[in-house]
Amino acid sequence: MNFFKEMNLGKSLILILFVIALGIPYVLRTNQYQVLLATTVLLYGVMATSWNIVGGLAGQLDFAAFAYLGIGAFVSGTLFIRFNLSPWFGMFIGGLVASGFALLIGIPLFRFGIKEVWYALTTSALVEILKVAFNMWEKVGGPVERCLPYFSGSWQHMRFVTYAPFYYIMLTMLVIALLVNQRITNSKLGYYLKAIGEDETATEVLGVDNRASKLKALVYYSFLIGMTGGIYASMYGYIHPSFFNGPESTKVAILGIVGGRGITFGPLLAALLLVGAQEFLRASLGGEFSGLYLLIYAIILIIVVLFKPRGIATIFQDIYQKFKTKEVKK
Amino acid sequence: MFLKSKGLNVNLTIKTLIYIFIAMMLLNVSAFSADLPGKIIVGCLEPLTGAHAVFGIEGKVGMEFAVKHINEAGGIKSLGGIPLELVIEDVGEDAMSARLATESIISKHSPVAVLGLYISRLTTVASEITEREKVIMVADALVDDITEVGRQYLFRPSPKASMQGRSAVEYVIEAAEKSGVKVENIAILNEDSSFGRSNAIGAVQAALDNGLTIVYQKEYPYDITDASSIVHGIATAKADFVVHCPYFMDAIIFAQAFRELNLIPKYIAGMGACGYSDPESIEALGAVAEYYSNTCSYNPAKDTAQNRKFVEEYTAQVGHIPTEGAGMNYYGMWVLKEALELSGELYPEDPLNPDNLRSAFLQLDLTSGPAVDTYPTNHIAFDGKGDNPHARATILQVINGESKVVWPFEEAEAEFVFPRPDATY
Repeated sequence: MNFFKEMNLGKSLILILFVIALGIPYVLRTNQYQVLLATTVLLYGVMATSWNIVGGLAGQLDFAAFAYLGIGAFVSGTLFIRFNLSPWFGMFIGGLVASGFALLIGIPLFRFGIKEVWYALTTSALVEILKVAFNMWEKVGGPVERCLPYFSGSWQHMRFVTYAPFYYIMLTMLVIALLVNQRITNSKLGYYLKAIGEDETATEVLGVDNRASKLKALVYYSFLIGMTGGIYASMYGYIHPSFFNGPESTKVAILGIVGGRGITFGPLLAALLLVGAQEFLRASLGGEFSGLYLLIYAIILIIVVLFKPRGIATIFQDIYQKFKTKEVKK
Repeated sequence: MFLKSKGLNVNLTIKTLIYIFIAMMLLNVSAFSADLPGKIIVGCLEPLTGAHAVFGIEGKVGMEFAVKHINEAGGIKSLGGIPLELVIEDVGEDAMSARLATESIISKHSPVAVLGLYISRLTTVASEITEREKVIMVADALVDDITEVGRQYLFRPSPKASMQGRSAVEYVIEAAEKSGVKVENIAILNEDSSFGRSNAIGAVQAALDNGLTIVYQKEYPYDITDASSIVHGIATAKADFVVHCPYFMDAIIFAQAFRELNLIPKYIAGMGACGYSDPESIEALGAVAEYYSNTCSYNPAKDTAQNRKFVEEYTAQVGHIPTEGAGMNYYGMWVLKEALELSGELYPEDPLNPDNLRSAFLQLDLTSGPAVDTYPTNHIAFDGKGDNPHARATILQVINGESKVVWPFEEAEAEFVFPRPDATY
């Protein structure tokens, strides 16, 4: 009972939110759409939270989230299709391959000091390059969709006919991503990354190995997203080069920035609010007024950026701090 | 109380958790969507935003006209004249939004059928859901593989992509014969999607079946920015004619490259219905569009009262004749109507049961009526995979700035132009 005895406001909130999250598929079980929407929000939550390691803490404007997701999806999906290897294992191998690929890209990038807009452009190009490469690589990719087997469902092959299992898998991934984020934030690496994010040159002068720190951040980020890619392939039931999706990669970075760079819960909060809002607007207006929902979504985004440039998480941080101050005074 | 001390938070946390559980139990008693007597809900799932919106919007308008005409004609007569009601969702352009839209439309409206999707990968995603929910899907995506993965509730009245590739080649051969021009060498081009490849496979097979020599074949990225090397390659290979499956922008790039390099073969035939002969392409290309042709899964020139009515009303509203997307979904809705009628006759006790409706689809054998009157051929039936084995494409050629049906010759509204008067080799 130590956990309960030492419980403070923050822990109480986390526990309450976690219990709510656990109960969502049960409450929504008659409506597959809403469970899918919740799972999609979690998917973006995982990606944006993972992005926070490299984009938030280390300050590297990374636009390659769907490059690593695509690699994870293709590795897991191909192993499943070719060798009947269950995606439960395939997703780990996908994560490893994605992080290995990130290392291959990261070593020369950081070696030659590619940063800021140049890093953004390079990672943005990476998604498109992979898309073209996988489109041409007939043995695993090619233009034709490759459907995963067991479409009527198989637990051991991570193929489900409802979304609730995917929801829980994604929730687990989210918890892992948040814990990794929190752990890194409070570690020596986290302090290095935050310093790099503030001023790279100054950090280097102080003797921090910038290159190694950024590479570590990149490996954590790409591994988590690569694993998510394996789940993504199982959930969508096929693999295709369109998984290397440039606009969606940008969306992940936007969620990370709008949520609050470097704040562990910020990107998740942005995913909850913005992905939810976008889908709500699409489902309500998309059929009758083509494109209007995208316009409204863009306006919401501009308002958030104008009035809360440090991220929407700061609103909640401020409220939390006020409560905490009151608690201390009492 | 809540913030008094760290330890006292325990009580409130536990209380809050209990409230949450009670709230969840209450929420769990959510009402199921009630049946909607008096109307049959049909879902429209098309890309209304993004790169393919131009096709999706046309498809949606085609469906709207069909529902209007069906209801004006008395609805589903075998079910006591129940009218159709169309509900619409935008599927966007990626798998995620397509899946959300499909789940959303099914959970909100419980449609008996959905039409659309247009893009094959989106259809793949959506059809997994419609299979699970046993909702009939009338697909307008033409990639062959859509019907090759064992879907039970998916039907595709339109000619599949390989059939379009075959039609393009056969049209050129027949036109050449009629014109007394000898064609032996063919060049086959396609953009690098599954749709492009399916078209090219049909063209290759037709070329081989007809004893042609494939002297040049290329699959290029759909976002190609310079086609000059490919145009040079075709000229070097001395292809008599080119059969090409583009999307919109690449068709423009190729047409301009042929003209600018002045390396124009005897004929350039599009396949797959995107690019060259659609109103947007004609507008974008201007005079350069002249003599290009493309296949079409719809025949706007079919001389029937139903088709004339559709073409007139569509043209009055949209400003141009119905495109392929509009036509496919117009007759697709009529095919659904005929299946509903048959289901009402065969299974009066439960006509909207998905298995009964599926059975009705499989038993359809239409040779007359509004569906056939607007269909490229005069026979609609479905094989076990959900394709119509009697499907065939028509060919539209740009003549004097307008798309005219030139093939099948017996249904042509204008005489084809072959070979191109501006051919340079």
